[in-house]
Amino acid sequence: MSGRLRGEAAGALLAGLGAVFLALAVGAGLILATGRDPAAAYLALFGGALGSPDRIAFAFNKATPYVLTAVGVALCFRAKVINIGGEGQIALGGLAAAWVALSVPLPAGALVPACLAAGAAAGALWAGLAALIRLWRGVHEVLCTLLLNFIALLLVAEALKGDLGETGAGFPQSPLLPAGAWLPRLTGTMHLGIGLAAVAAVLGSVYLWRTTFGFRLRLVGASRAAAVYAGVSPARTLVSVMLIAGGLAGLAGGIEVLGVHRRLIEGFSNGLGFTAIGIALLAGASPLAALPAGLLFGLLEAGALAMQRQVGVPSSLVPIIQGLTMVFVLCALGLRARRGGA
Amino acid sequence: MAPDDGSGAAPMLEMLGISKAYGTVQANRGVDLTVRRGEILGLLGENGSGKSTLMKILFGMVRPDDGRIVLKGQRVEIRSPADARRAGIGMVHQHFMLAEAMSVLDNVLLGLPGKGAWPDRRAAAEELARASRAYGLDLDPDAAVESLSFGMRQRVEIVKLILGGAELLIMDEPTSNLSAPEVGALLAILRRFAGEGRSVVFISHKLGEVLELCDQVVVLRDGAVAGRRPVAGTDRADLARLMVGRAMPAVPAAPAGPPGPVRLAADSLTTGGPGIALSAVSLDIRAGEVLAVAGIDGNGQTELAEALAGLRPARGRVRLDAEDLTGRGPAARLAAGLAYVPVDRGGTSLVPGMTVAENLALRDVARPPFSRRAWLDGEAFRERARERIAAYGIRCAGPAAPARSLSGGNQQKIVIAREIGRGPRALVAVQPTWGLDPGATRFVQDAIRALRAAGGAILYVSAELEEVLEMGDRVAVLHAGRLSRPVRRAQLDLVRVGLLMAGDRDAWAPEAERLAA
Repeated sequence: MSGRLRGEAAGALLAGLGAVFLALAVGAGLILATGRDPAAAYLALFGGALGSPDRIAFAFNKATPYVLTAVGVALCFRAKVINIGGEGQIALGGLAAAWVALSVPLPAGALVPACLAAGAAAGALWAGLAALIRLWRGVHEVLCTLLLNFIALLLVAEALKGDLGETGAGFPQSPLLPAGAWLPRLTGTMHLGIGLAAVAAVLGSVYLWRTTFGFRLRLVGASRAAAVYAGVSPARTLVSVMLIAGGLAGLAGGIEVLGVHRRLIEGFSNGLGFTAIGIALLAGASPLAALPAGLLFGLLEAGALAMQRQVGVPSSLVPIIQGLTMVFVLCALGLRARRGGA
Repeated sequence: MAPDDGSGAAPMLEMLGISKAYGTVQANRGVDLTVRRGEILGLLGENGSGKSTLMKILFGMVRPDDGRIVLKGQRVEIRSPADARRAGIGMVHQHFMLAEAMSVLDNVLLGLPGKGAWPDRRAAAEELARASRAYGLDLDPDAAVESLSFGMRQRVEIVKLILGGAELLIMDEPTSNLSAPEVGALLAILRRFAGEGRSVVFISHKLGEVLELCDQVVVLRDGAVAGRRPVAGTDRADLARLMVGRAMPAVPAAPAGPPGPVRLAADSLTTGGPGIALSAVSLDIRAGEVLAVAGIDGNGQTELAEALAGLRPARGRVRLDAEDLTGRGPAARLAAGLAYVPVDRGGTSLVPGMTVAENLALRDVARPPFSRRAWLDGEAFRERARERIAAYGIRCAGPAAPARSLSGGNQQKIVIAREIGRGPRALVAVQPTWGLDPGATRFVQDAIRALRAAGGAILYVSAELEEVLEMGDRVAVLHAGRLSRPVRRAQLDLVRVGLLMAGDRDAWAPEAERLAA
């Protein structure tokens, strides 16, 4: 299967790279239209993202929640499960991690793993709840995962108004977490998260292509009737893939809280979960390709401010390029589907 | 019936020197095809012989590499199905192109060219009523298409094309899903259509229908014309030889082995909806025996097979040798030695998007050699695939080829290789030769006979009486969810089987007595 595995990731990357180049080309047109030099702008953008170890660390930190969440969403796509609940799963993961850090007395070495485990568990539970609603009440997972996002965000806000909130702070946030709960850093500002994300991307790919679980997941995605015929339960597959995706998103939320903010802040999830869906698409639903795709988005965001500062091109060009990338990826998917159907 | 070719008028259609290659595969090579006015032309050929490609070229779905198309003496370029329809060519696909939620009349309106946004419903309704009478279609213009049977939907397709001005109808395997009376009605409709100076291309595997309906037969083999015959001057053996390039060996009479012990037994299987409800179906099949189940499609065949395979909840008991399978799921029944070949190859027994190797392992991945604990063994997948490809003569590019790239016959070989290659104790097969050409049909039937010789107990479900008689040691009839008493083939009364299939009340009365006893 290793040939398949590599071929899969390579195919996804090729379509993705094409989309990225097209998006950058259209972006260059937009920069020209504002009367600036696209070459200088892109040089500033990538220079800003890669110019110093600190900038690279910033890009990697940005990419971490993208990669983790996108790996889970990609696995869901493989089972034809459309999970758009990453946002809420991240938020609750962060909430659970912060709660453990602030409320559970644990020795320093055990605190970080406990917080991250709590975050992953909270995300998994939230996604599992969506799966159960789907199974028991027949509500499509797009609806329940989407709506559960809002509930999760409100739960975070509510927790910050109550026991978890910092008294006297002007903003809904928790007190600073105890230092023992901070995620260890690899360099000056780069935290451990990107390492975990890389491991998740590799393990996700191995799970998908080299285990019986992954085979069943792909089978359910390819044909429900064939899965039932092969003795595979689509319901069990739905629940398990949602638990995995929710766990990864919850882990991402915990990492954001422990590694970036070091406290729980209202709105810290900030659309990460939604962007991750696009990254999973850009990666062609390949868990391994989610790593470069997530890193690319992290790099673009890390360089945005430098571009604005140095060349005067507004940093909002970056979300435009990200959006265009998705559009072109979807075009490629549409083309491939049409060619496959002919 | 005689084709109107002496009048000097140009033929309806001439396809000249048509060639088309897909990569290294030459799908059509220099094919010439002439259809005269008023003629019904049978187009015969095994799967993969190039029939579909040729018709797709005629209908504008595929562009030929070489060749010309001449319609009524005029050279035409057909670049799209829309071009084809404008030129008066209509195609009835195996999968209908109907809006299911809409009425018959609305579907006809959708098919009319150039009526703009405000079609004249009343005029169309009158035309539909006239055509319905003229061709004996018996269509209710206000019925929703989704409420119609397969045969009636086909008539909607045909009348849509007739009213749209089609002068040449392409019928792609139109009788695959029809009951015998429906086939008769369809043939009558096509004859009437051709009788008005229009033409039909009738694509089929079924030699009998081609001989009954058509005026001329063209046989394709390996993408080229293997022969053209007036129907009057040919017979089954001749056509079969042209199709496969050799004479078909006669079917050997199945040797009557000594009856073994009962292997597969079902007692009072009863199901609720959806679908046809089975009512107290009991059967037992001995080792080395084939119980063939006849019946018109949709009388509980799928339901019976799924209840046996554990895919459909049912009351009653199922036993395989000494093992009670009642209440067990499909995986447990499979593990006990019950193989199942369902009718739907496109999405149930085979996954087109997965590779040949994966499809060969489809129901066995959780067991060695394909996996140890939860880890897949990729080498075992490839190894098994190479071995099965060789043993079953599966024509494909290799273990990693996607199953969708194979022809229907080779896809079914994958299913058969998987289900029978496992060495099951019992096999439930529903229409395992559906849509296969004669060569592939023989292959599948021989594999099932080999399982029988090895002591397997086989339930063989088919809608074709010919096949039931060929395969079954005993024959039973399924009608409206009830199974008749199985009868040894030697004692079979064909008239009675026909009456049972048609649901005749008097024929079924003794069956009810037996069930009550």
